[in-house]
Amino acid sequence: MTAQPSSLDLAIDRTQSWCRTWWTRIHHTASPWLVAIPDIGPTCEVLLADALFHDLRVDERDGLVAWIRSQQHDDGSWRDANDQPDLSLTCMAWWALVQHGADPNEPALDQALRLVHELGGARRANAIVRLWLAMAGVVPWAWIPAVPAELYLLPEYAPLSPARLSPWARQMVTAVHLLAEGPARFSMVDAGDLLLYGRDGEPVPPRLTTPGLAGDLLQAFDKTIKLARTLPRGQVHRRSLARARRWIDATQQAHGGWFSLRPTIYSLLALRVGGACSDDPRVRRGLDYLRRARGVIEVGEGRRVLAQSLSTRPLAKLARLGMVAGPSPGVPIEGVRERLLATEIARPGPWQLRADTATGGWPLEADADSHLDLRTTCSISEALRSADQASTASSRASARRAANVMLAMQEPDGSFAWFERGEADVPLSRLPWRDADQLNLGKPDDDSRVTLSAMVLRELAALGWRREDDRVAKGIAWLEQALVDQGADWTVATSTEVVRAAAAQCVSDHPLRRRAETLLRRRQAEDGSFGDEVATARAVLALLDCCKPCVQTLRAARYLVARVEQLDRQTQGDQALVPNVANVEQPGFGLSPRLRDPSAGVRDIHAALLAFRTAGGQFE
Amino acid sequence: MTTTTTEPQFAERYDVVIVGAGLAGCALAQALAQADPRARRSILLVDLHRDVSPRFSGEFIHPRGAAVLDELGFYGRLIAAGGVDVDGFVVAEDASEAEPVVLDYADVPGERARGISVHHKTLVRVMRQVVRERGQVDVRAPWRVTELIRDQSTQAIAGVVLSGSSGQRHEVRCDLVVAADGKASTVRKLAGIPDTRESLGFTAGLEIRNATLAQPLYANVLLGGPGPMLCYPITRHPDGSLDFRLTFDLPCALPAKGRELGDYLLDAFVPYLPAPLGDQVAEVLRARVEPVEIAPTFNLPAPPATLPGLALVGDAAGCSHPITASGMTMGLLDAMALARAAKRRAHVASDQPWLDADSLRRYRIEHERYVPTRQALADAIFEAFRGSGSGARGIRRALFSYWRSGQRQRVRSLALLACAERRPRIFLTEYLKTAGHVVHSSLTPRHAAHLPASDRLRRVQGAVGLAGTKVGLLAHVAWSQVRPTWLGLVTG
Repeated sequence: MTAQPSSLDLAIDRTQSWCRTWWTRIHHTASPWLVAIPDIGPTCEVLLADALFHDLRVDERDGLVAWIRSQQHDDGSWRDANDQPDLSLTCMAWWALVQHGADPNEPALDQALRLVHELGGARRANAIVRLWLAMAGVVPWAWIPAVPAELYLLPEYAPLSPARLSPWARQMVTAVHLLAEGPARFSMVDAGDLLLYGRDGEPVPPRLTTPGLAGDLLQAFDKTIKLARTLPRGQVHRRSLARARRWIDATQQAHGGWFSLRPTIYSLLALRVGGACSDDPRVRRGLDYLRRARGVIEVGEGRRVLAQSLSTRPLAKLARLGMVAGPSPGVPIEGVRERLLATEIARPGPWQLRADTATGGWPLEADADSHLDLRTTCSISEALRSADQASTASSRASARRAANVMLAMQEPDGSFAWFERGEADVPLSRLPWRDADQLNLGKPDDDSRVTLSAMVLRELAALGWRREDDRVAKGIAWLEQALVDQGADWTVATSTEVVRAAAAQCVSDHPLRRRAETLLRRRQAEDGSFGDEVATARAVLALLDCCKPCVQTLRAARYLVARVEQLDRQTQGDQALVPNVANVEQPGFGLSPRLRDPSAGVRDIHAALLAFRTAGGQFE
Repeated sequence: MTTTTTEPQFAERYDVVIVGAGLAGCALAQALAQADPRARRSILLVDLHRDVSPRFSGEFIHPRGAAVLDELGFYGRLIAAGGVDVDGFVVAEDASEAEPVVLDYADVPGERARGISVHHKTLVRVMRQVVRERGQVDVRAPWRVTELIRDQSTQAIAGVVLSGSSGQRHEVRCDLVVAADGKASTVRKLAGIPDTRESLGFTAGLEIRNATLAQPLYANVLLGGPGPMLCYPITRHPDGSLDFRLTFDLPCALPAKGRELGDYLLDAFVPYLPAPLGDQVAEVLRARVEPVEIAPTFNLPAPPATLPGLALVGDAAGCSHPITASGMTMGLLDAMALARAAKRRAHVASDQPWLDADSLRRYRIEHERYVPTRQALADAIFEAFRGSGSGARGIRRALFSYWRSGQRQRVRSLALLACAERRPRIFLTEYLKTAGHVVHSSLTPRHAAHLPASDRLRRVQGAVGLAGTKVGLLAHVAWSQVRPTWLGLVTG
């Protein structure tokens, strides 16, 4: 007689089938789904840029417009990552909708406009909103901070060189600089309503710098540069501009885009302003990249719309989902390992200017051959190890290169950089510009850096690099200090990563491991959860890394199984449906600091329950 | 003498009792036997294990050690039993980077062109067999030394108490006890010599059949990973195929134990092996049913090599990390040094002690001339090869830069490594030249065109700081070389 499968086995099978559905979704030929969803900003910018490119099909335009509309809140606003009304997003959404035929007098847009005015008008919005207003001829170019073109003549190691900016900002600043030098002028729907006007009928200009003496001096410097632009200029200026243009040409990647979506949009605009026509191969490839970075998402009651992501299909998602969506639990998808190995970075990139290591690691997305992504590198390295029962010479060589890359990406303080060393603290960001923080990528002490550093340390432990190595020891010391300074404010997701890193690197009585584990264990609620399903799943994985299944792990796993049964009832056993499990927030970059992954819920629950069963966990 | 059991029969008294029938013990027994051509002296060789110690141990012997084996009559038998003539070292900085550095014994002037490498168990079995066949040495096993007998009046060591596997006990008296029982020497402990061993970690060892190496007859040092790896041939089969030993250096806090160690080695070390060898090792690790063999590694700063009635030889008299493979050669040199002292007194009447206090003083002075150099070198090389700090990594890069700068540099380094060069001037010159390369290689990154100046300075600071910490050691080495013999005799 065959034994009846337990509730744990059933939950594992069910979540695995959901993972397989997600795998099918992200590989859908005609309309792939997105698994890294940013705010509506990129979607608005694509819609606005279409005033120049005329590349969107009707169904695409309607899908994107529907996504923007679906995200408007009752107060008329579009919200930021902290669920607060965001002036810049609201301005962009209003304009994008009006640009694509919405009636500005309809109640929702009227409400949005009133909110914009309440928040101070577009003059208070970020530099990108003001850039669009300037390109549309609504405001003068003086509303945009000026970059002296001569900076492009500085050697790349000079602190003030644009090469020293974070990779996202570098591409954006260069494109914006070329647009301002054009200057660009597009025919768009009048967005003058977004502004507040003075008594003289002129829009009130923004302040570009922070208040104070330094800010005033910088503002004066900015005016001087703009004044100088009106004067006839000589060869130095022409050479500077030529170098900036070459920079744009040289940094287009194999996938057709630049660093990510926004740099691609503005680089394409700069190319057009520089004279490239719409059938220029560079422009065509760039537009194709934008199209590939679009995908289906589900909003509300199963309604599907189209959204613009920051990149094409992220390799980290491919790796994580590929490991759990195979023919049976614990078996990866066939061929996923080869796919991942084929995407390893094989040519030198700008990230190696300050990281002393040979080429290796993985980028954010396939064919992004110039930019390393350390987060993706960790995810893929882990996936390859778990899938690699028969490792080959090539996979071992990739693992070796990945370990060397991780070690070389350590910052002097012991933490690890995401894309390039020094990205979180570039010299130009110390100037008192209002938007100066955008020149960095993250902050030296934010949560995403803690998570990344913990991920790297855990992966390094698996690859043999333990605390006997001074770099690993320094990383652990940094995590320990971060725990003391900010541990109380960490989310469960951050705590779980730190616990897993500590379990991999430290002995059981190490202060970091003890404190982080205690911090995590205290977060468990009465029902066994650690917050939502994803937080609970990750907590189960972290606790299993620390010890054999304990009472807390058992309670958390039982909670997950109960939730899976509940969610299964929602889908009524339909294989094609996947229940709505909490979206996981993950760090984004640039103007979209948070991304959501709708597939992570089922994926992480499956991984946690499978690990629980493998570790010998069972319900009585 | 008190005998609690009748078996086995020991003589009333021996001239020399050697505790430990490993390489150093067997070599010493044979050397002493050769020093006593008329067989007037009695030598007892005891060991804890009836066969050989189950743990894998040293197997690679430099040309100077091979010459000693030849002189003692072991070499031919070892080669016949599968020993392999080895040509030197090949050191690879990283599996994916520049060509490895070849350090060839044949280039060292005035030295034998080849060393020898033998599976440790074969080595010990053959050496014991050779010693037994000579008949001059009483070889006994398994016997454990449980006590040292001291002379009531002088407190000098005058014998040992042996305990057998079934509990029998023998007191054996002698003029000299020689501790050749390895780094964890029981005799050293019983003699009250403080145990100053510092644990360095562990070495895991695998045997690989027909390993694919570009230079199979060399000891291949493979760096770049979490710890250094060493691969060398240990057995030549009659059909010409070779078995190799591959060792992995593991930290003190073992990252994995038992069967999990194999998985750990697969993830952590195998990626740093050259591709064909990596495939072979991965296959061996996956097919393995038994746990991977491991042995602890220690650094034992040379203790006093003699006490009244006692001499220490081999690892018992000081050992360091096995990466320079010089431990076995040192054991053989110790055996020869003690045998030379015995030869000097071969004419003395048999009722007089064979190796008296003066002989022991001479042995100690000679021993202390070469052991500190070897230990300093092994420590420095291990630290640089492991590369666990920025300074050590800087020194590693500097070493490669130095070796690549010319043939003469490689020859001198190998001469020091192979215990063929003991002149303090050469040691100091080599040290200073490497230090000179440290600054240059630390300031010049390999890949990063714009590595921040602060990072470069930190590298230099680390490397120079580490080099600075070795100044005391360097002075000690220099002093041990130039110390006048008469001073040693007085202080001894």
